[in-house]
Amino acid sequence: MTALVKLTDVSKTYRLGDVRVRALGGIDLTIDKGDFIALAGPSGSGKTTLLNLIGCIDKPDSGRIVIDSVDVTAVPLHRLASLRRDTLGFIFQTFNLIPVLTAYENVEYPLLLSGVPRRERSERVHRWLAQVGLADQEKQRPDQLSGGQRQRVAIARAMVVNPKLVLADEPTANLDSDTAGHILDLLAELNTKTGVTFVFSTHDASVIERAERVVRLRDGHITNIEVTRERVA
Amino acid sequence: MRRRILFLLILILVQKLHAAENPAAILAKVDAYRNPLTSFSIDVDVTSIAPDGKHESAKYRVLGRGSDKSIVEFVAPATDKGKFLLMLRDAMWIYIPSASRPIRISPLQRLLGQASNGDVARTNFTIDYNPTAIAEEGDAWVLELYAKDPAVAYNHVRLWVDKKTSEPLRADFYVVSGKLIKRATYSEYGVMNGRRAVTAVEIDDLLKPGNRTIMRYANLAQRDNPEKMFTKDALGKW
Amino acid sequence: MLIKIAFRNILRNRRRSAITLLVIVFGAVGLILFGGYKAHTFYSLRESTIRTRLGHLQIFAKGYSTSESQKPMAYALDDVASLRRQVERDPRVKMTAAEVTLMGLVSNGEKSETFIGTAVEPEKDRVMKSQRMLSGSELSNNEPDSAILGAGLAKSMHVKAGDYVTLMTTTVTGSLNAMDVRVAGIFTIGVKEFDDRAIKMPIAGAQMLLQTKKVEKLLVFLNNTDDTAAVRESLSRSLHGVEFKDWSELATFYHQVVALYNGIFGFLGLIVFAIVIFSVANTIMMSVFERTREIGTLMAIGTTRARLWRMFLAEGFSIGLIGCVLGLASGVALAILINHGNVMLPPPPGYTRGYPLEIMLSASVLVPAAVIAIVTATLSSIAPAFRASRLKIVDALGHI
Repeated sequence: MTALVKLTDVSKTYRLGDVRVRALGGIDLTIDKGDFIALAGPSGSGKTTLLNLIGCIDKPDSGRIVIDSVDVTAVPLHRLASLRRDTLGFIFQTFNLIPVLTAYENVEYPLLLSGVPRRERSERVHRWLAQVGLADQEKQRPDQLSGGQRQRVAIARAMVVNPKLVLADEPTANLDSDTAGHILDLLAELNTKTGVTFVFSTHDASVIERAERVVRLRDGHITNIEVTRERVA
Repeated sequence: MRRRILFLLILILVQKLHAAENPAAILAKVDAYRNPLTSFSIDVDVTSIAPDGKHESAKYRVLGRGSDKSIVEFVAPATDKGKFLLMLRDAMWIYIPSASRPIRISPLQRLLGQASNGDVARTNFTIDYNPTAIAEEGDAWVLELYAKDPAVAYNHVRLWVDKKTSEPLRADFYVVSGKLIKRATYSEYGVMNGRRAVTAVEIDDLLKPGNRTIMRYANLAQRDNPEKMFTKDALGKW
Repeated sequence: MLIKIAFRNILRNRRRSAITLLVIVFGAVGLILFGGYKAHTFYSLRESTIRTRLGHLQIFAKGYSTSESQKPMAYALDDVASLRRQVERDPRVKMTAAEVTLMGLVSNGEKSETFIGTAVEPEKDRVMKSQRMLSGSELSNNEPDSAILGAGLAKSMHVKAGDYVTLMTTTVTGSLNAMDVRVAGIFTIGVKEFDDRAIKMPIAGAQMLLQTKKVEKLLVFLNNTDDTAAVRESLSRSLHGVEFKDWSELATFYHQVVALYNGIFGFLGLIVFAIVIFSVANTIMMSVFERTREIGTLMAIGTTRARLWRMFLAEGFSIGLIGCVLGLASGVALAILINHGNVMLPPPPGYTRGYPLEIMLSASVLVPAAVIAIVTATLSSIAPAFRASRLKIVDALGHI
């Protein structure tokens, strides 16, 4: 069990107008390779903030974050772009696909950022679209796809870079229960097959029950960490 | 014997004619009547008459040296009082009290107004012209004078002179093309500075028929005018 | 790829893009019409100044330009015939014309006025067409003691064609001279101040007045204005004892008009530029605002600030490119329409007759318009690009 992400005494405070809100206080957390973790709690618990910090799209006010042996705490966010590009993958509640790009192009995009040559790009994009079951939809634009299909594209986009860690913020919140179930199955399958670490932020019970470990948060603190199922090593 | 008398008569006649018709001598006398003194002051009263009968008068005091240097002081009318003209052979300058510097007047501008008549009145025939022919017309000799220098204003002058006294009667001024531009009539004689001299000249502008200028002279006096007076920097400073 | 995305984003909001394009097209069309009008004016003024007045080159005796002599023709050309032969050997030379300028008084018997005279070779003067005859006839070689008078001068002298006036000047030696001339005709050159003083006469007549066989200058006319510098260079090597002036050194009015128009149109261009920049910047900024979450996503998945910059600059550039193409097409079409429409303009400063409006569509007009359209549109995207690159990822993602 090698640690992929290690947070030590991490805190984050927001300023909303004149009010200061303490989103996270003194968080210690370790995430191992291959984990399938849910960050759970009611709204305002700090789970989204925690996910953002791990995802290197936000900065803690104090504490230390190490990702894949890289101390990202002191590095300005915009310098972490390449880390995000190569090591991380993101899945959003609102899918967040680029509307003017086709499914193929949306998945292709991160590879363009890394300068992957054309043939390899094509091979990888096609493979991942097939993996998520959208081989026939590659020329469709997001507005021509259903919610579930869009999220699949997003998953393919996240996976195409061969990330070490995928962060998913309420990935099923905008989907009906059937589709949500399929998506979660897919994610679980990917976790098992590829060994990519998944971290969810969610308040949905059905998501929580699929996770291997659940980190419970309340008012910016971790209340407890449950192990719901053993990993099939 | 008769032949000898005839011969003598002819000789005397020829001599008399010859003596009388020495043009250079005649010219010298003419100039003596017109510009008797070398360094002088003189009052000039000028009346211009237009074809419609309108008269205009002006009075000047002229200080001269030789035939080609003069300073003209404007005495009247009151609007012109205080102005000075410096007239030299190759240049003319005007000094107006309200201006800080004298202004040079081009040869062409000299054609305008009374400056041209002044030039005509002060022409020195002896210095500037060669008499090339002499003829008779009643009581007068008629001399053809041609400018010695191509820079002289009037290329050719025809001069009528009284046979007996060598007083100038009339002078016609021609330009290079042969066109007659001015006619000067020496209409009055009097005594100035103890000698007989021309006291009035009437000048007709033949380009503008009916325009006549009468210049009357008085109070001719000997005056010592040093050379250095006739420079543009000296103008107006005294 | 960047351009592809840029174009697709432009098509995203058709109406807004159309309006932005309209602004750019307006700007480009304005530049083309203004610039083309200006170019045509310069060209016409230049050619008419050269062909009717100055010639392409003027040849003088050496020492002419530094001379301060009060006497006319102190430095003049001696053997015009041989000089002419040498000059006309060059196939680029169309014709030569000798000229003398003189000043003096003109008198009708009652009053005198000063005149400014140009003595010309009558047959060459007819080719030059420098004046418009109002009455009478042009000058002729057969009558050296004739002259044509400017309209204002003729009026002041109360003369008509067929009457006589006397011209008075000083000769080259400084002596006075006068000559009766027949008024062959009355002309206008289009400039009142000139018509009030001008006289033209055959060179032979002026030479009689001035008492000289020389000539003040030789005008050289070329087939093509662009050859001026080259011909001057070649003539100055082969001819001696002469000095040259080219039309540009002499055409002060032309240069003044050029400076004036450049100033005016430069200022107008600046205004157009400002309008386009603000307009396009505003549009792209709105686009940035609407795509805030999208930008946040792009940054989250690893897009660098530099890449975001390039993205928006590409959008500005692309809309500029489209605007440029449309603008060029519209501008050219409009210009062609105007050129065929024969719109008459009022007389320019100093002239008395109007002339037809024409837009010149040369590279010097079209290329700058195209470049400016593209450049301003690209520059407009700088502010929005900056804004986009400074977005905070978390805030952007949380944006509606």
